[in-house]
Amino acid sequence: MTRNQIRITLLSGFALVAALIASRPVAAQDAKQPYPNMAPIDQYLMDRDAEIALARGASPDSISRDAEVLVLGRHGFETAVKGKNGFVCIVERSWTSAPDPDFWNPKVQTPICYNAPAARSFLPRNIKRTDLILAGRTKAQTDEAIVAAIDKRELSAMEPGAMCYMMSKQGYGGDSVEHWPSHLMFYFSQTNPATWGADLPGSPVFAMSDTREHLTEFVIVVQRWSDGTEAR
Amino acid sequence: MTRNQIHSIFLSAFVLVAALIATRPAAAQDPKQLYPTMAPVEQYLMDLDAEIALARSAAPDAISHDASVIVLTRHGYETAVQGKNGWVCWVGRAWMAMFDHPEFWNPRIRAADCLNPPAARSVLPYAYKRTELLLAGHSKPEVIAAIKSAIEKKELPALEPGSVCYMMSKGSYLTDYGGHNGPHLMLYETTKDDAAWGANLTNSPVLSVNYWYISAQSYAQLKSFPPLSVFLVVVDKWSDGTPAPSM
Repeated sequence: MTRNQIRITLLSGFALVAALIASRPVAAQDAKQPYPNMAPIDQYLMDRDAEIALARGASPDSISRDAEVLVLGRHGFETAVKGKNGFVCIVERSWTSAPDPDFWNPKVQTPICYNAPAARSFLPRNIKRTDLILAGRTKAQTDEAIVAAIDKRELSAMEPGAMCYMMSKQGYGGDSVEHWPSHLMFYFSQTNPATWGADLPGSPVFAMSDTREHLTEFVIVVQRWSDGTEAR
Repeated sequence: MTRNQIHSIFLSAFVLVAALIATRPAAAQDPKQLYPTMAPVEQYLMDLDAEIALARSAAPDAISHDASVIVLTRHGYETAVQGKNGWVCWVGRAWMAMFDHPEFWNPRIRAADCLNPPAARSVLPYAYKRTELLLAGHSKPEVIAAIKSAIEKKELPALEPGSVCYMMSKGSYLTDYGGHNGPHLMLYETTKDDAAWGANLTNSPVLSVNYWYISAQSYAQLKSFPPLSVFLVVVDKWSDGTPAPSM
């Protein structure tokens, strides 16, 4: 199972998102392969200032104002703002952050702020994935290359304490799930989801496990957006 | 209730209590005067069935149904229910807060808690040790010294990665302040740096506290303890699935 397939599982686990999906079943099922190929690169690019602002919106200003900010260029992510607190904020695109049907959806924009351990150990995977995609690799080729790099330890295991904020009111998760709930994510090298009580009835924790990448992500939905307004 | 008021519940319960106390009016009652010493042990004990039920309510039934449950006796915690999923549910008493917490001896505190397997293996032994020594009548400095010695001799374990606990019980009483309670998860880390998680910053949903003390000056020996931070993430439902107050 690929990361993007796993995302579908996670999305169906989110109570808020499940309700959203349930309200749009016809639209989701009818839209078969709406994005079969990569769109022209320009469709994935953003105005630089808008991208910086969107990236910073992933976490409260008290965190993101001192964070490094990466923006997407034609060949990959580039540093737009130097940070000083170890956090890195970025607007990820469909090939790292959307379910399979939206893999090439150019509208997908998911703001994330990684803490320093995640910026060192998880973010490089998405940077590399983006480099490969923009260099013209297929989804399958990219997946293989990432897995190979992890197996060869060119991409590292998760550092202790690796986590990220995804609390932006803005952004676009994909056609089936237009907006993710405000949440935090915690990264671990392969861990049994049951260890955190994830995905059980009533549990506030959801998990995504990718055995090929030796990765488990735990998700906790929070009550507010990054600007402090109520999210539920 | 405002968000700041709710925050104060947690701040006074387990997080940054010093800041809260510092801002309280001088005329208010000082909790240290309210709870200067241990109360008679009976005041900390509970009916067995009630304690088991409260302990289990810390997590959704899907977790706690198969968890072990430990209960407080006159000499320490004992296993009341043997579980099969590696989780341990229990009701923490006031002395599981930081050693200089003003409610350290508050006999009303009932902190229902379900620890995941890594936390049960690596955090719970500290609770056992602390509780046994305090119930045996040892002073706080003596308890601190005994724990320090046990750590050095490796009689107490190092923190395991991924140690987490659920504190989602409607029935808990965490502090005399505010609404006394609120559902949250706690994640244990060996970092000394709150900023590593963006904790305690404006609008951050993450709060953090040192496991051992509020002020490093309170008990000098605690400064040499292994760093142990508790990160707290507020969640939006109680363990029974009902919505919690907005925080």
